[in-house]
Amino acid sequence: MEYIIEAEGIVLRYGDFVAVDGVDVKVKEGEIFGLLGPNGAGKTTSVKVLTTMMRPTAGRIVINSVDTQNDTVKARSMIGVVQQHYAMDMDISVRENIISRAVLHKIPYKTAKVRMMELCEAIGLTPYLDKKGNELSGGWKKKTAIVCALMHDPKILFLDEPTTGLDTQSRHMLWDIVRIFNKRGATIFLTTHYMDEAEALCDRISIINKGKIIDTGTPQELCQSIGKFTVEYDSEDGKRKYSFFHNRESAKQFFDTVSERNPIMRGTHLEDVFLEKTGRLDITSLEGVLDGTD
Amino acid sequence: MGLIDETFRVALSDLYYFKRNIIILTLTSLVTPLLYMLAFGFGVGSSVEEMDGVSYIAFIIPGVVAINTMTSSFSTISHKLMVQKRFYESFDEMLLCPVSKSALILGKCILGVLKGSICGVILLALGYLMTSDLIISPQLFGMMILSCLIFSLLGVAAGVVLPDLAWTDLFNSFVILPMTFLCGTMFSLSSVPQIVADIIWVLPLTHTSACIRAIALGRDFPWISFVVLMIYGTFFFILSWLALNRNK
Repeated sequence: MEYIIEAEGIVLRYGDFVAVDGVDVKVKEGEIFGLLGPNGAGKTTSVKVLTTMMRPTAGRIVINSVDTQNDTVKARSMIGVVQQHYAMDMDISVRENIISRAVLHKIPYKTAKVRMMELCEAIGLTPYLDKKGNELSGGWKKKTAIVCALMHDPKILFLDEPTTGLDTQSRHMLWDIVRIFNKRGATIFLTTHYMDEAEALCDRISIINKGKIIDTGTPQELCQSIGKFTVEYDSEDGKRKYSFFHNRESAKQFFDTVSERNPIMRGTHLEDVFLEKTGRLDITSLEGVLDGTD
Repeated sequence: MGLIDETFRVALSDLYYFKRNIIILTLTSLVTPLLYMLAFGFGVGSSVEEMDGVSYIAFIIPGVVAINTMTSSFSTISHKLMVQKRFYESFDEMLLCPVSKSALILGKCILGVLKGSICGVILLALGYLMTSDLIISPQLFGMMILSCLIFSLLGVAAGVVLPDLAWTDLFNSFVILPMTFLCGTMFSLSSVPQIVADIIWVLPLTHTSACIRAIALGRDFPWISFVVLMIYGTFFFILSWLALNRNK
């Protein structure tokens, strides 16, 4: 089987508002797949639908050959989810949170204790096992959420904006954890709005905006789709402008024409692709306010 | 066996919470019913000779136990579920686990049943010290546990149906609090106008109070009230099930 997640034509409506609008996602077994989008693009809602937390208005989701609407319980047994928020009871200990989650997945108590100790040792959570959730920093809460999600040894791990709000050390630590579990065979589906995170981790990426997938590919393929080379320079109105080129020569030629405008020639980043595909925010009205003309 | 097993798996995190906070949770639940027993039993009771053929203290102790089964169970469950849903967001994690919705609903009731029953036993023990008219029997404990389960089911229904804590407070003020005082707990319904008694008869605490009082005072068991309670329990369960089943 090539694809472990196949979602076709997923739609989710809240009344007249369409949160997810015909999303198609195919994730290969063993890959790290990223869903990249701005705030409010539909990333978290897509994860909630894919993980059976929300029922789609239309569309079909198959996880490891199991249709999630036909056999929700079996589909759930194959996935682990780390939500955007910490999603743990703050008034009980880390140990109690982890064991409760494992028991809900029908893991025998003794087996759960052994697996908890293995996972906690692996990611350095052991000294915090008897602390209550509300005594932990964000990074340790996120680690607890990851251990909870991995207790039943899922084939697919969904991570919804896993590093939002974390410091640099914690972010890099979580990236390493993701890589380790991916190497051990888990398929990873992560959402993020951090370009460096997507570039550092993902084998393939879909860009989502306003509930629709607007492009899919490897980071390199996405960069090539707008041009491998970027020339950025100051425009007459003081804003930074970006032009993209498929070969170095045409980029160099353009660079020479804007040589008076602080140009920089560089390789295209995923961030350039993201901004080209999803659009830049217009701040013209802000300038008007600051100038006193609006 | 499957449902019972799953029910206790769902309840485990709540049981850990209860174990950590057993004294605080029990004491806070006992304050209000103890005040009712003291203020109404000895304060008001000193000027009331008897009610429904027994001393006033013997009349209100089953009523206070009935109130406790409702307030302890309902408030514990609805508040805990709302916090897990809105603040900890751990309830969503439970929805992702391979357990049935029935087990999820019943599992979330266990904390309310446990807390309500422990407080109920303490209140009955204190009541037994205050009056010898009470008959303590296994049936009385069974009825108390059943009552805790029904109001825990109401707590689950409120927790999953109501959108936030402000709505829970509203429900407490307009439904739970009026039931506390009106449902034949502190006074006999024969002393109020028939139309008011008919309205009060519809409320679940009226029937809990009637059943617990009948057993505690050795009277004929009001089977109609028991059936009404069963209907309420089923209704609360179905309401919770439908709320869990719908899209968010």
